[in-house]
Amino acid sequence: MGILGRFYRKPWKVGVDAEVDEELAFHLEMRTREFVANGLSHDAARREAERRLGNQRTLRTTLAAMGARRDRHLQRTQYMSEFWQDVTFTARQFWKNPGFAAIAILTLALGIGGTTAIFSALYAVVLRPLPLREPDRLFAVGETNPAVLSPMSVGIYVDAEAGTDVFDGLAALQYANYNLADSATPERVIGAKVTANYFDVMGTAPLVGRVFTPSEDQPGADRVAVISNRLWQRRFGGAPLVGREIRLNATGYTVLGIMPASFDLTNGTEELWTPIAFTPERRRMHDEHYLSVYGRLKHGVTPQRAMAQLDAVAARVSRDFASELVATGVKFSMMPFHQQFVGDYRARLFLLMAAVAVVLLIACVNVANLLLARGSARAREIAIRTAIGAGRWRIVRQLLTESVVLGIVAAGAGVLLAYAMVRGVVAWSPPDIPRLEQARVDPLALGFAAFAAIASSILCGIAPALRIAREVQGGLNAIHGGRRGTTGGGRRDRLRAGLITAEVALAIVLLTGAGLLIRSAIALQRVDPGFDPVGVFTARFTLPEQTYADPVREAEMLRRFGEAAQQLPGVTAAAVSSYAAMGSGGGTNGLIPEGADGHDRSHFIQSILRVTTADFFPAMRTPILKGRTFTDVDRATGQRVMIINQTLAARAFPGQDPLGKRIACCEATADGGPAWKIVIGVAGDIRSRGPAVPADPEFYLPWTQVPKDAWNWFRTFYIIARTDGEPARLLSPLRQALARIDPDIALFDVRTMDQRLSGSLATARFNTLLLAMLGGIGLVLAASGIYGVVSYLVSQRTQEIGVRMALGATTTSVVGLILRQSLKPVSLGAALGLLAAVAATRLLAAQLVDVYGVSRTDPLTIALVAATLIAVALVASAVPAKRAAAIDPTTALAAE
Amino acid sequence: MDLLHGTLDTLILKTLAAGRRHGYGIAKAIEDSTEAVVAIEEGSLYPALYRLERKELIEAEWGISELGRRAKFYRITPRGRKALAAQTAEWARFSAALSRLLQTDG
Repeated sequence: MGILGRFYRKPWKVGVDAEVDEELAFHLEMRTREFVANGLSHDAARREAERRLGNQRTLRTTLAAMGARRDRHLQRTQYMSEFWQDVTFTARQFWKNPGFAAIAILTLALGIGGTTAIFSALYAVVLRPLPLREPDRLFAVGETNPAVLSPMSVGIYVDAEAGTDVFDGLAALQYANYNLADSATPERVIGAKVTANYFDVMGTAPLVGRVFTPSEDQPGADRVAVISNRLWQRRFGGAPLVGREIRLNATGYTVLGIMPASFDLTNGTEELWTPIAFTPERRRMHDEHYLSVYGRLKHGVTPQRAMAQLDAVAARVSRDFASELVATGVKFSMMPFHQQFVGDYRARLFLLMAAVAVVLLIACVNVANLLLARGSARAREIAIRTAIGAGRWRIVRQLLTESVVLGIVAAGAGVLLAYAMVRGVVAWSPPDIPRLEQARVDPLALGFAAFAAIASSILCGIAPALRIAREVQGGLNAIHGGRRGTTGGGRRDRLRAGLITAEVALAIVLLTGAGLLIRSAIALQRVDPGFDPVGVFTARFTLPEQTYADPVREAEMLRRFGEAAQQLPGVTAAAVSSYAAMGSGGGTNGLIPEGADGHDRSHFIQSILRVTTADFFPAMRTPILKGRTFTDVDRATGQRVMIINQTLAARAFPGQDPLGKRIACCEATADGGPAWKIVIGVAGDIRSRGPAVPADPEFYLPWTQVPKDAWNWFRTFYIIARTDGEPARLLSPLRQALARIDPDIALFDVRTMDQRLSGSLATARFNTLLLAMLGGIGLVLAASGIYGVVSYLVSQRTQEIGVRMALGATTTSVVGLILRQSLKPVSLGAALGLLAAVAATRLLAAQLVDVYGVSRTDPLTIALVAATLIAVALVASAVPAKRAAAIDPTTALAAE
Repeated sequence: MDLLHGTLDTLILKTLAAGRRHGYGIAKAIEDSTEAVVAIEEGSLYPALYRLERKELIEAEWGISELGRRAKFYRITPRGRKALAAQTAEWARFSAALSRLLQTDG
């Protein structure tokens, strides 16, 4: 009965209700028989038996419920115990094959670690919500120029604020530098002048104290400041400060409040705020565009509706101020604040994420291949398990458990790797990526790693597991046949070939991306920025409004500093400029060329203004292509002159000689008419925003003829000095020269022009470097995967090769045979990879922000990548092929 | 005599320790070995069996009964034997204590 009992095990197979019925029926039957034997009639016996059992209906219900619970519990326990068996079995297997386990775990760890690290960066920079109230409602609002969001003028801001009701406030901000000289050591602090509603619009509130009231946002009442948490901690050690006075630009400001640390959105954001306090005159100025404007949409208002209202304001402003203003044809645009805040880094990081995900996929394919190879080695063991009753699902589960255990161990290693990589990325990345410094492997990233581990282990485990289980089930011949399970062998080879194809295709996609960026970097190296960056020293300094209120005094100071710099030993040319290439600052003005209709927007050219001394051009080695540079003739009282760059010349006077032509800009004459300036020279284009960005229209004015209002546009200037020697050595003589003119002014942002130029490329270069590294990793993984597969295939064909050699095949023909076999999946993978790469570059067109100067389907890149991969694949196949050809035929034949 | 709380489980385990039995056989064995001093409340026997099964102290299987038809048999598991030993020891302590109490004078 013991044997029989075995077959009837697992009572839950019967169904709980049937089980209960049958059991109770049996019980009643036995009791009845007992009582009959004791002398009762059958009916009486039956009644007595039923009485002793009690209420049968209740009992049945109770037992059915208990039985169901019992079955669930037992199934779970069985599942867990099988799982645990699988895990311990796996651990023993790995212990016995440490080489296999180490390679698989390292491969996966590389992929998981990489994806986790990039995810951490992506989360910190892009995905993490801004610490502001309802950040989705916050928009940057600007003028359209012509397609990008650009700063607004005060007049237009005032009109837009008055003319809209879709915003819970429209706030304006103007960046400003402050000399904070509260104690012995003065410090330059980046701050901003803001409207009273700025903090409310941004959706933040002070940690201590309060922010400005509208009455403090008035000229004369504006000597109040709000400071950031960072500045408070760094400079004041967190000591009580509200109500105290600090000295900014040599003037006392009362501290009203301190913002929370969360409002230090990045390490580079402004550290203190003062009221912007527009004067009535400023409120009427429509042609000085320097305000960053932010709007908080009212609840339920769509950006479209807000835009419609802004368009109406734009139309009205354009009409009302058409007669007196250059800035005709005003247009607005809006952009979610988050988008403006994150900028191109969103695209760059998503691209990196995609690349690193491809690396993870290649790693998965490699591990799948390893698992498959192990599966063949274990065919006997699995066949035995099947023979003793393990179902197919049970086998698949056990094999999957193995890959999941692999994945989890790899995730552990990957997380350690991710810690290191995040540190590396934060340390070596260019400094201007917002919030990157906040990237860390946090619980969310750990969750991501766990997800990546499980997903990738199932991905790499499922195909081999299904295949192995089916094979073993298909015929238990492996148990008899020894080494080679012939059934499904061909199919398995197809799976292997498929893995090679996938690997090659993925690696091609990855390398194409890396190749495009590398080609772009090379193209950028060749771009002429329009100046010679070698040997040029640059630095900035700020003239405080309070001490330099008089334009004459200011112009005189700048002239003197320029001349002093010029006379320093080793300096060949020096200039003071309002704006330098690759620097921050600089504003645009609307220019109307002579002969154009000043009221028609299409004739209105937004151009970057640069106010310079005469030696700017020799200092930068930017050529004057036509005409002359500024001289002493260009006096304050003389004829107004300007120099324009090539781009502006082509835009303003296409096909004509611009010299002697007139352009109106920047100010109005006393009677309200256009202030004409004569073009005296045409300068070569300078790529001011980096080599990748074509030159904007730019124009130059001499310091002696700065429009009266312009002194409000900038307070910070560049000193530019060219030397034959080492430019960095100019710092201390320049500091001394500046101190002799005004000891209170400090040089900051000291960098050579070379540094500025490479700084403008730093992010792109960093991205290129990362992608090239990922491409390299992908290539190595793909090569090792191909090598593994081909080695396996060769080992399977040892006998066949032996026979061929015995029949007179040459080494060359054997190598050729193996190479042809591997070349098929490789070339298929290359073809698929190229298609995928073209599709991916199309799809990712918007993310490929760093591709410059090459087509996104650059034939050279694609051809090089394909050739590289095929070459690598051939080498990876040739090594085992050579080995195959070295086989001694007799040994090979004797093997069976 | 009524069974003390929890004693039924111990008795079931004790009975099954001798070998596998079906539900009726367990009831009968308990009655026989206690000379019917202990009458099994049959309404609580089967719930106790299901509970013990869930606790994995006993396990069930289908077998052929003395009537020649299919019946559900229970057998004790290693874990059940451990529980039985523990419960037996506990019972011995309890009954010894009780005996001492009842035999003291006064």
